[in-house]
Amino acid sequence: MSIIEAKDKISSVTESISQKTNSIEQIRYGCAIGAMQSVAAIPRAIPITHCGPGCADKQFMNLAFYNGFQGGGYGGGAVVPSTNASEREVVFGGAERLSELIEAGLEILEADLFVVLTGCVSDLVGDDVGSVVSPFQERGVPIVFAETGGFKGNNFTGHELVTRAIIDQYVGDYAGAKTKGLVNVWSLLPYHNTFWRGDLTEIKRTLEGAGLKVNILFGPESKGVSEWKAIPKAEFNIVLGPWLGLATARHLEQKYGQPFLHVPVLPIGAKETTDFLRHVADFAGLTTKSAKRKLESFIRKEETRYYKYLEDFTDFYAEYWWGLPAKFAVIGDSTYNLALTKFLVNQLGLIPGRQIITDNPPDEFREAIRGYYHDIAEDVSTEVEFEEDSYAIHQSLRQTNFGHKPPIIFGTTWERDLAKELKGVIVEVGFPTSYEVVLSRSYIGYRGALTLLEEIYSIIVSGSA
Amino acid sequence: MPINLKTATVESREQRLGTIIGWDGKASDLSKESAYARGGCDAKCGQKARRICELRGPFTQGSVCSEQMVECQAGNVRDAVLIQHSPIGCGTGQVIYNSIFRNGLAIRGLPVQNLHLISTNLLEKDMVFGGVAKLEQSIRDAWKRHSPKAIFIATSCATGVIGDDVESVATQLEEELGIPVIPLHCEGFKSKHWSTGFDATQHGILRQIVRKNPEKKQDDLVNVINLWGSDVFTPMLAELGLRVNYVVDMATVEELAQMSEAAATVGFCYTLSSYLAAGLEQEFGVPEVKAPMPYGFAGTDAWLREIARVTNREGKAEDYIAREHERVKPRLQELRELLKGKRGYVSTGSAYAHGLIGVLRELGVDVDGSLVFHHDPVYDSQDPREDSLAHLIDNYGEVENFTVGNRQQYQFFALLQRVKPDFIIIRHNGLAPLAAKLGIPAIPLGDEHHAVGYQGMLNLGESILDVLAHKKYHQDIAAHVRLPYKKSWLKQKDPFVLARRAAAGSEK
Repeated sequence: MSIIEAKDKISSVTESISQKTNSIEQIRYGCAIGAMQSVAAIPRAIPITHCGPGCADKQFMNLAFYNGFQGGGYGGGAVVPSTNASEREVVFGGAERLSELIEAGLEILEADLFVVLTGCVSDLVGDDVGSVVSPFQERGVPIVFAETGGFKGNNFTGHELVTRAIIDQYVGDYAGAKTKGLVNVWSLLPYHNTFWRGDLTEIKRTLEGAGLKVNILFGPESKGVSEWKAIPKAEFNIVLGPWLGLATARHLEQKYGQPFLHVPVLPIGAKETTDFLRHVADFAGLTTKSAKRKLESFIRKEETRYYKYLEDFTDFYAEYWWGLPAKFAVIGDSTYNLALTKFLVNQLGLIPGRQIITDNPPDEFREAIRGYYHDIAEDVSTEVEFEEDSYAIHQSLRQTNFGHKPPIIFGTTWERDLAKELKGVIVEVGFPTSYEVVLSRSYIGYRGALTLLEEIYSIIVSGSA
Repeated sequence: MPINLKTATVESREQRLGTIIGWDGKASDLSKESAYARGGCDAKCGQKARRICELRGPFTQGSVCSEQMVECQAGNVRDAVLIQHSPIGCGTGQVIYNSIFRNGLAIRGLPVQNLHLISTNLLEKDMVFGGVAKLEQSIRDAWKRHSPKAIFIATSCATGVIGDDVESVATQLEEELGIPVIPLHCEGFKSKHWSTGFDATQHGILRQIVRKNPEKKQDDLVNVINLWGSDVFTPMLAELGLRVNYVVDMATVEELAQMSEAAATVGFCYTLSSYLAAGLEQEFGVPEVKAPMPYGFAGTDAWLREIARVTNREGKAEDYIAREHERVKPRLQELRELLKGKRGYVSTGSAYAHGLIGVLRELGVDVDGSLVFHHDPVYDSQDPREDSLAHLIDNYGEVENFTVGNRQQYQFFALLQRVKPDFIIIRHNGLAPLAAKLGIPAIPLGDEHHAVGYQGMLNLGESILDVLAHKKYHQDIAAHVRLPYKKSWLKQKDPFVLARRAAAGSEK
């Protein structure tokens, strides 16, 4: 194909993408009530859903089951109470039914925290959920509520609504002392990001290695509600990712006078992780000699191990006979998209072909996000697009010039067939990942980066014959 | 009550059939109370003849909605598009039904592809001003992108509450595009049981896709109403010189349209097939095969004989039945020896469970309990030959602990304590994880045809042997995890205590 033809094709696509409509085909996020999964991500917390009969099942099965087969855990999945709203709740309102459900739930369920989440029905008929929940709160029941009707936004929006509800209604005011070296971490969206459990574990491990104490808040490494109660005691908040968590951090700044550190790039690999840890240590004021010694000794240990494995991997990377892909595309939420692009460009020396962010970040953050891609490496600048409709995304990928070799596509199950069509390979790294079983696997930090390399190149090698 | 195709909205299961989602007792008592036996209910249950006393408690866990069933039926028609007219949350279901669709296509040997579902992505302002303009846009997008042979529209709780006029848009676009544009009314809040979603899809297909006044008849074609199961019906029906037309999942629009040309309609589960089969008979004169479902010897024999009778192939059936009995008996005998004394528990959809319990009893497995997700006192044909529960009891005896509940995990603990099974059989999610944490393994019947017919008995027997070995895993996990239920609740012997308390309270 001549260059001119290729160019023609590209321009036609740009045109079709610009005709953006409301349609979203092959979805890449849930709705606000999907944040019931953020509740399920807190050990011994249980969401209570006030919505139609399918909403809880739908959010769970898709965000948590057919996405890495993560499972329901303690209080998620089929455990989740729901009013299963019927015609009666639509016509007469559902407040009474919700109250009855909570009361009965307290008799049956064992939890440290309940979070009521509303769905479309409740938010449309205008149930006063606050007045249903507050008598329980006055009785000392650990329960909060968030209005998360599906039309209010996606599960990223819902996540921040739920987080804020727990902080304002359960954690509450605090005027006591701060705990030296304690930080709150706001990063990946639980369950939606397929690898969040392993990744949050790695974030906590490395921050502790650097000498900090960590409220990780979600996932297997969280201590549950006691950790949430300790949020106000932290010296500062870390927002790790391009935008999710910034609203929470700003709120905490107001509420508890906590400053926050925003690190847009979730670190993958030794260089990025080491920079991250030094940056955090600096912000935390870990300047004493012993603190510095601890930090640097941790970094040295981790880097030694990391580069030992990379040294061995180098034989493969340098002399694998049949060649390896050179260009890549990343289709995914802002946090993983940026983190992967950074790592693939800077650590592996791969060439960015197409980056598409799919989590619909609020407009106020988009300019900054574009900037991160412009400065992806000292000598590499790339563009990023924002698109949620898979039809447009796939058209865009079809028209991308990946050069003389097929690309690696870092994407989702939606890209499986497309990768075949392009004769490339697919690494499923985001929602939905329906063809991977994920337990503690992490792709970030020092350790996760090595796993990521194993995953990428196993897929490539295993597909070769 | 005949099927009413005059309106675009399907009548819900509870309106048509008196469907219930809460009941607990002996299977024979439920059968007596059901319409086929005309047992009825005492006066305070209301006027409807078929209404059965239903247990309703204050505590409920998340169920499943009609819209999900529309997604997994209309959304899995290969050359159609389903538009989900809803906020984005309803669209989340695309993930599971895509995975199931792809794996189903693969086991059926069809080209694997992603499904074609489009969300209209309604936002807050659409709740105020209405969403029909977005619906129209999405229909046009569907047409432009995929040139589908039909476009289905699934409504949602949100569009139901705000009252979007979906039908006008559909009618207008159907005329303009020249393909069926089919509104499926499946608002979750409108029915207490998700199986109304099957009916909603089938209602739309009957109204707008099935060929009216077909020019030809295909007298060797049988409509098989199923889901994604492996192709066990083609070889079975080939023995009678019949061809299979699988509907609705993974069918093409043409395969749906030709249903009116077929010689008969059958299913593997009356819960799924009731509405469409009755509608095809009523509106298009395609006879529904009225027989027990094809499970176990008795059911499969009667089912084959009735198909043969309806399609005038009696001789062929007897020969095939005799051969199959001979073929499966030796291994069945071995399986019965191996499974002696094992206890099984079935927790699946309603009619399907009736069939599976029969198969377990053929295998010599003790079945003292079952949880079905709803109960239809009657199916749409109202023909007693379809009374699957009575067939079970007449051929295989009583089921002592027979429970109806829409997949309520909190009740499942006590239900399992009653019968202490060695394994359970499931289809829907959510119950196996609890059983697993009690050391009980589950057989998930993703392939719904696994236990169908004579071979099905052997298949299920082999699967039980496999899963009993799994016990090692489950006992280990049981020793290491805690359940999210209060000790006092786990001690509770009656899973319906709250419902009974509520009923007693309201009587006072």
